[in-house]
Amino acid sequence: MSDKGGYIRQGWLVLVLAGCFGAALAAVHVGLGRRIESNKLGDTLRQVPKLVPGAVEGRPESLGTRTVYRAVDSSGRTVGWVLPAGGGGFADRIELLIGLDASAETITGLYVLEQKETPGLGNRIEDANWRGQFAGRSARRRLSVTKADKGGADEIQAVTGATISSRSVTDIVNEAVGRFRADLGASRQ
Amino acid sequence: MIDVLIGLAPVLVAAVAVFRWYALKQIVVCLACCLLAEAIFSAMRRRAMSLGDFSAAVTGMILAFSLPPSAPWYVGAVGSFAAIGLGKCAFGGLGQNIFNPAMVGRAFVMICFASAMGASAYVIPGASLDVVTQATPLTAAKSAGGAGPDWSMLWPLFVGNVNGSVGETSALACLLGGLYLCFRRAAKWEIPLAMLATVATVAGLGDWLGPRHPLSVLHHLTGGAVMLGAFFIATDPVSSPLTSGGRWFFGAGVGALVMLMRAYSGYPEGVMFSVLLMNALTPLINRATIPRPLGGSHRAIPSQTTNGAP
Amino acid sequence: MSKHIGQGDGPAPLERLINGILPENPVYRQILGICPTLAVSNSMESAMTMAGAVAFVLLGSNLVVSLIRGLLKPHLRILVFTLTIATFVTIADRFLAAYMHEMSRKLGPYVPLIIVNCIIIARCEVCAAKQSVFTAAADAIGQSLGFALAMATIATVRELLGFGTWFGLAVMPKAWPAWVVMILPPGAFLALGLLMGAVNWIAAAWAAKSAGGGEEAKKA
Repeated sequence: MSDKGGYIRQGWLVLVLAGCFGAALAAVHVGLGRRIESNKLGDTLRQVPKLVPGAVEGRPESLGTRTVYRAVDSSGRTVGWVLPAGGGGFADRIELLIGLDASAETITGLYVLEQKETPGLGNRIEDANWRGQFAGRSARRRLSVTKADKGGADEIQAVTGATISSRSVTDIVNEAVGRFRADLGASRQ
Repeated sequence: MIDVLIGLAPVLVAAVAVFRWYALKQIVVCLACCLLAEAIFSAMRRRAMSLGDFSAAVTGMILAFSLPPSAPWYVGAVGSFAAIGLGKCAFGGLGQNIFNPAMVGRAFVMICFASAMGASAYVIPGASLDVVTQATPLTAAKSAGGAGPDWSMLWPLFVGNVNGSVGETSALACLLGGLYLCFRRAAKWEIPLAMLATVATVAGLGDWLGPRHPLSVLHHLTGGAVMLGAFFIATDPVSSPLTSGGRWFFGAGVGALVMLMRAYSGYPEGVMFSVLLMNALTPLINRATIPRPLGGSHRAIPSQTTNGAP
Repeated sequence: MSKHIGQGDGPAPLERLINGILPENPVYRQILGICPTLAVSNSMESAMTMAGAVAFVLLGSNLVVSLIRGLLKPHLRILVFTLTIATFVTIADRFLAAYMHEMSRKLGPYVPLIIVNCIIIARCEVCAAKQSVFTAAADAIGQSLGFALAMATIATVRELLGFGTWFGLAVMPKAWPAWVVMILPPGAFLALGLLMGAVNWIAAAWAAKSAGGGEEAKKA
């Protein structure tokens, strides 16, 4: 079948349908695209006031090669930072948001955006009580994980039976905070 | 199956001696629920009552022996119904099951109630029974540094005066009951021998390469569920291979997997998963090791050529 | 090539609708669309969203395919089906992402995966490519209801046991120990297998009852 007209005759319906459907999808995208984008950004921005005390909104900013969120209060003053950070957990990647105060000296909060740790054990890293341990810790020193009932100033108590998940979160926090402080220092010089 | 129950008697005595009412509770719950489940499911399938073959009782005992003493009653109950229902009846009843029913039940509750079955669940702080207030030996060893083996632990590990699953702690009791089973031919001796030899070989290799590890060969052999698993769990006649050669391979595979999981997995012990994994391989092992009659077709599937096999 | 499609032969609309719900239930009797059934049935909320998305796609593609059934070339029909289905799936996916953001995150890749859900292409092939628009719509509704019914039963079992809730509302007593395995993938296989067994058991019992004594004697 070298007859090109034959192909057109047979395939015209597919071509017409593809054109129609393509137009329909384009229309859907034009109608909904902005809303979808703002939904995605909203996941992070909604958390900013909860992670940094006094903040009312977050403004995306690029620092070094990454995006961070500057947390500002109602008068526009910088009251802290929110860092997106991620790394390997026990089962799959863990995505976190870390709140820091304006001078990046103290951690003000932690939120788990995404995790697939073991239900009943590792996924308790999402518990507000466990996450709350990070608030108030110094950002200058590395945090470590302990299994003891009472931890020291730089020790995070592991979730019972989920030491690996706890350690992963702590490592991600250490790494992200350390890098942010270095980047922030470099950008201020 | 009555022989298996007799073989389990020393383990039962040791379990009750070590864990008292904790052990009694698990055994009563699992035994009652397994028998009940067997009765219900055989009634549903309109089969004759199969309680008389004692297989459900054996499943219940082994399941109870593999649970932590602290596990709440529903863990044993759910585990029993999963063992009999999913592990056995769903496959068509006794003789048709691919996996060891007790281990299916345990795996089910292990994933269901991770916090009641994990390593930390074994410790009951402030209990009046001393033995359950400490971490199990294998868990302790996982978190211990390079202090070398603690030789004073060996005797308690051997007689069973340590924390652990209800029936696994006493190597002596398992050995006594297990030897009775092998002597009575209720269990095939190749499986426990191959399994223990593999554990000893791998652990010995470890000892030789890194002598500072807190567990020596003897700790590996007497600690955890190796003894219970070797004699009572891996030897389940339905889910283990049919030929002698197959049984050697099966036992060695379980032993090697146990050591692999003890050394590298997140869990302190691996007998349950090892037995289940090797159970899954059993049909393949049978296929590879059941001899074909002389002159029989080389390509024929075994079921057509194994007239001589049991 | 000689196959002539486009004529209205086959069951009537009402029969199509009723068949889809139980006698030809897509999940329990045809064993189609198992991927979403297993993947997103651990809570009623996500199961019902998935059922809604599948219903939308099924209705849309059945209607379009039925409308153009006279123009279909036999050797290009699967291509047309896929194109149509993919379009409706993308629309459903975008709408979920825009208006049900949380749910769309939870369902993850399983909404786009409706494209390869066999229920839809099977209905296009079996019904929509051969029968009138009205019949195709009735068929789509029946099959969607059947799929929703299957999703609802599986999700009910899994959510009740795994979380102790139904549609997120606490149903079980407070002390209920969550059966974590039912939330995890193995629980999906267990629930589907047991429910499928139960449905077939009931169906066989019904069939035996209606067939009368002679059949029953043969079974015994």
